[in-house]
Amino acid sequence: MFTTLYRLLKTGFTNFLRNGWLSLASTIIMTLTLITISVFLILNIVLTQGIQTIQDKIDISVYLSDSAKGQTVLDLQEELSNNKDVKKVKYVSKDEAKQRYQEKFKNNPQLKESLEDNGENPLPASLEVKTYNPDKLESLLPVFEKENYKGMIRKVSYKENKEVIDRLFKATEFIKKIGWGLAAAFIATSLIIIFNTIRTAIYTHRSEIEIMKLVGANPWFIRWPFLIEGIMYGVFGTILALIAIYITLRLLAVSFNSYFGGENTGDQVFAFLLKNLGTLVVLMLGVGITIGVTSSSIAIRKYLKKS
Amino acid sequence: MIYLDGITKIYDKSSKKALDNISVHIKPKEFVIFVGLSGAGKSTLTKLITHEEEPTSGKITVGGIDYATLKKKDIPYLRRKIGVVFQDFKLLPKKTVYENIAYALEVAGISNKTIRSRVPQVLKMVGLENKDKSFPRELSGGEMQRAAIARALIHEPKILIADEPTGNLDPKNAWEIIDLLLKVNEYGTTVILTTHNKEIVNTLKKRVITLKNGKLIKDQEVGRYTLQ
Repeated sequence: MFTTLYRLLKTGFTNFLRNGWLSLASTIIMTLTLITISVFLILNIVLTQGIQTIQDKIDISVYLSDSAKGQTVLDLQEELSNNKDVKKVKYVSKDEAKQRYQEKFKNNPQLKESLEDNGENPLPASLEVKTYNPDKLESLLPVFEKENYKGMIRKVSYKENKEVIDRLFKATEFIKKIGWGLAAAFIATSLIIIFNTIRTAIYTHRSEIEIMKLVGANPWFIRWPFLIEGIMYGVFGTILALIAIYITLRLLAVSFNSYFGGENTGDQVFAFLLKNLGTLVVLMLGVGITIGVTSSSIAIRKYLKKS
Repeated sequence: MIYLDGITKIYDKSSKKALDNISVHIKPKEFVIFVGLSGAGKSTLTKLITHEEEPTSGKITVGGIDYATLKKKDIPYLRRKIGVVFQDFKLLPKKTVYENIAYALEVAGISNKTIRSRVPQVLKMVGLENKDKSFPRELSGGEMQRAAIARALIHEPKILIADEPTGNLDPKNAWEIIDLLLKVNEYGTTVILTTHNKEIVNTLKKRVITLKNGKLIKDQEVGRYTLQ
């Protein structure tokens, strides 16, 4: 059993090496296919997660003037809470705002101390509003326009967040479309190129195959080396694709970070990759080996018909 | 041993019959010569016996196995019972004599230990024990054919088919091969030889079956070459 396995692997490996340029072409196209599929899959997942994270953040901050009366603030808070699009409203006092500021700039003493200069806290109190759907933010605008709240609202800030989400949504949709299209094209190309490589391998080994049949070789002894060759394209493709993805992500991390406005998307993608390396390897091997074996099987069935 | 019963073979519909209603019975341990000019149907007949081709009509039974009911997965086992050698030897050029013969065992899943003991034995039998490390290109035609015979014998077949084995050889080498076939036959293997070498046919004084245009025209117990 072990001897046979060894012989099959050896034959498959030798075929792979002797096929030279064709093997190289097959491995490269397999690598490109796996890179395409993996990159788009990772990007899709990370962007979806990114959207989720940002959506969970506050959608609107209503900064209140220091003169705002307690009861009016409570009225506003209640009115916002009763709106069907609003998930949560949280009151942040001046003191809490100060604490947050100090926390945020704890590594920057200059900024941290700038608050203390005249002993007064310049930061306003605010209401933080979280909606169910950031697209519905506009429906809240009339509330802030109301006469009884006008004087107490210093500033309503919401736009920035929505823009990031819109960007991510658009990017995800775009990536999905492009990703599926490219993946399908690459898979088809891989299948054709590997099919041709195996077909050539069968042709090159025709006298060997003839002799094998003549001396009563087990049919799988004739077929398996070609299947193993197909599997090898999947395995080598996976290894090369992983290396390529690693290097590319390392290089791209910086520019990703700046594009998504400091959300550290590049780092997130990289962290995601490392965290799910096992799954990714299994996925790539699965796709790669399936493509390799499918191509080989078709070629074998077509060109090794007679036994 | 081998029963051919009313065998007709047509390769494709438009072409003529490669074999036309052939019936032959070959007994165990027999030495039979099929004689015929090129295209007479000799090779087709050997391909039918090795199950490389199937007859258009008629029945083939070899060693009690009816080919009509033979399962595809059993064909390799049948082939191990039937050794074949050809005019062009069909040795693998990148393998040594030893490797060429061992290969036939490897692809049948035989253990390395058995291979190591059996290959030298068969090499000795064909007189190539000192050529085991040679590549086919380093051998004479006669030696290549002996290596091919060694490979054909490695599974200890019941039947050895030699399809024009002397076609590419000079008379001296040709006779060495014929002598080897006679020796194999003496050990108890049924030998089927196809040839159109008049001298060999006439000297051997064995059973001769003459084919012409796919038809069996003569079957003599001690035959002579009668074709022009």
